[in-house]
Amino acid sequence: MAWQDDFQMKRGPGGQYEMPQFKIPNINLPKIRFSAFLIILIIAILWVVFGGYYIVEPDEKGVVLRFGSYVRTTDSGFHLKFPPPIEKVYTPKVTEVKRTEVGFRIEDPGPPARYRDALEESLMLTGDENIIDLDVVAQYKIIDPVKYLFNVRGPAATVKAAAEAAIREIIGKYKIDEALTEGKFMIQEETRALLQKILDRYDSGLQIVALQLQDVHPPQQVRDSFKDVASAMEDKNRLINESQGYRNSIIPETRGKASQIIKVAEGYKEERINHAKGDAEKFTSILQEYRKARDVTRKRLYIETMEEVLTGIDKYIIEGKTSGVLPLLPLDTLKQVQGRGQARAQGKEEKP
Amino acid sequence: MKKILFLIIGVLLFFLIFLNPFFIVYQTQQVILTQLGKPIKTIYEPGLYFKVPMLQETRYFDNRLLDYDAAPAEILTKDKKNLVVDNYAKWRIKDPLKLMLTVKDEIGAQARLDDIIYSELRIELGRHTLHEVLSETRGELMETVTKKTNEKFADYGIEVRDVRIKRADLPSENAKAIYGRMQAERDRIAKQYRSEGSEEATKIRAETDREKVVLLAEAYKEEQKIKGEGEALAIKIYADAYQSDPEFYTFTRSLEAYKRSLKDKTTVILSPESDFLKYMK
Repeated sequence: MAWQDDFQMKRGPGGQYEMPQFKIPNINLPKIRFSAFLIILIIAILWVVFGGYYIVEPDEKGVVLRFGSYVRTTDSGFHLKFPPPIEKVYTPKVTEVKRTEVGFRIEDPGPPARYRDALEESLMLTGDENIIDLDVVAQYKIIDPVKYLFNVRGPAATVKAAAEAAIREIIGKYKIDEALTEGKFMIQEETRALLQKILDRYDSGLQIVALQLQDVHPPQQVRDSFKDVASAMEDKNRLINESQGYRNSIIPETRGKASQIIKVAEGYKEERINHAKGDAEKFTSILQEYRKARDVTRKRLYIETMEEVLTGIDKYIIEGKTSGVLPLLPLDTLKQVQGRGQARAQGKEEKP
Repeated sequence: MKKILFLIIGVLLFFLIFLNPFFIVYQTQQVILTQLGKPIKTIYEPGLYFKVPMLQETRYFDNRLLDYDAAPAEILTKDKKNLVVDNYAKWRIKDPLKLMLTVKDEIGAQARLDDIIYSELRIELGRHTLHEVLSETRGELMETVTKKTNEKFADYGIEVRDVRIKRADLPSENAKAIYGRMQAERDRIAKQYRSEGSEEATKIRAETDREKVVLLAEAYKEEQKIKGEGEALAIKIYADAYQSDPEFYTFTRSLEAYKRSLKDKTTVILSPESDFLKYMK
């Protein structure tokens, strides 16, 4: 290109560099007078163009201040405004749910998230002067962007401090056993209500969306004892169940036994009655025949009986009417002698 | 003519840029206007204001609710228990002029808040037992402290909206004792559960044994009753039958009894005179 040559250094005869020869092209500048008014006008146009609008994102609200004083709130979209410093816009994120933690810190939001216990925050005194270890997460959002922006300095820190105060105040109303078990839900609700009350008192423009008790347990130092209570409860149930088992086996067994006794008795009753009936019928039948021939039958019965009775038993027939000799008779000796004889002859002798 | 115009514009620009007679008070601010160091006006409302350059100066103060966070301090309760109390307060500069005259600025105010809130808390906590501080009265207590501090700060142009106990914990030495107590308490409860369990179990067993005895006794009662009925009915049947001829009954029954009773190993001594043997003669 032509102009490049003009810039090349040319070595002179004395070894000295000579200044390159500039050949300034002859540009015809338009002959415009630089008017001060024009400059001001351009600046003013730029000022209005670049500072005269603002965009509010869908998750935001636009809060407009005119000379530092609040004038209007706008929804998302493109809006016009006076350029600064007349109007200034803040766009807080109103749909975003922020959170604050009491009792732990998130070290790494993950996933997987890593947490670190903050014992100085999580350990607190219960109403019965015990110490409990619990973590709370409160979720909140901006409900009134104007209040949020202008009423409280450091809203996030305020929520955290208020949450700490609220959970401790509420936990102080509960006993440790309630807090560990069925009281959790109530504590959660009451804390949420109190925290909201505190934030309203500060006119913070914030709303608690949710408050959760994350982790409620006894402090590390006494955790084993608490576990032992749980196992003691199990032991209690076990003992009771075992005894119920004993009962369940004994009672039916006894009932069976009882009904057995009764059945046996009923059988006995039937037996007695039937025996009696049988005997009675037998007697009645005999009696009927007996009445027909009293004397003969009587004698016959007597003799038959005697015959039967006296067959096969030892008999002594003693003459004389006196019974005075009876005691002198050596019955035992006689019996013994006979007994030996019988023993000796056993096997051969058969009784009729 | 043009030169004069340029001059005027130049002077105006110089005036605006370097001396700046206008100032904006934002929604979150309040301003004291001083003239040669002497306060002449307090501006509470936000907006655009004018001041005389060089002569007048502005001092800005925050208009929002401010935070005061105390360092945790040990405070004695009425029942002589040490509590580590960590509290915070929310306050506002209500009258910047008074504030400026008394404690100069926010930092001065914080120091004064430190003194007064701490002493008020000490007084109030000293009136309550640990239990009261922990539970129901805590809200009232903080309300009282807030009210009193607020009264004391009226002269400082400060409004104390809220004093709140963030943490009220026992010092670590006491915490150890509490852990000990909690442990003992839990052990007691565990023992109670276990002995309750065996109590209940023993009760159930005893009750079972009792019921067993009762059931058997009732069965015995029933048994005897049934047997008795049988017996009675038998007697009646016998009586009805035998009644028709008691003499014959005695006779036959006696014969039967002889048959049954006089069996083996019986020795009978008979007289020839007896009916049975009378024909032997």
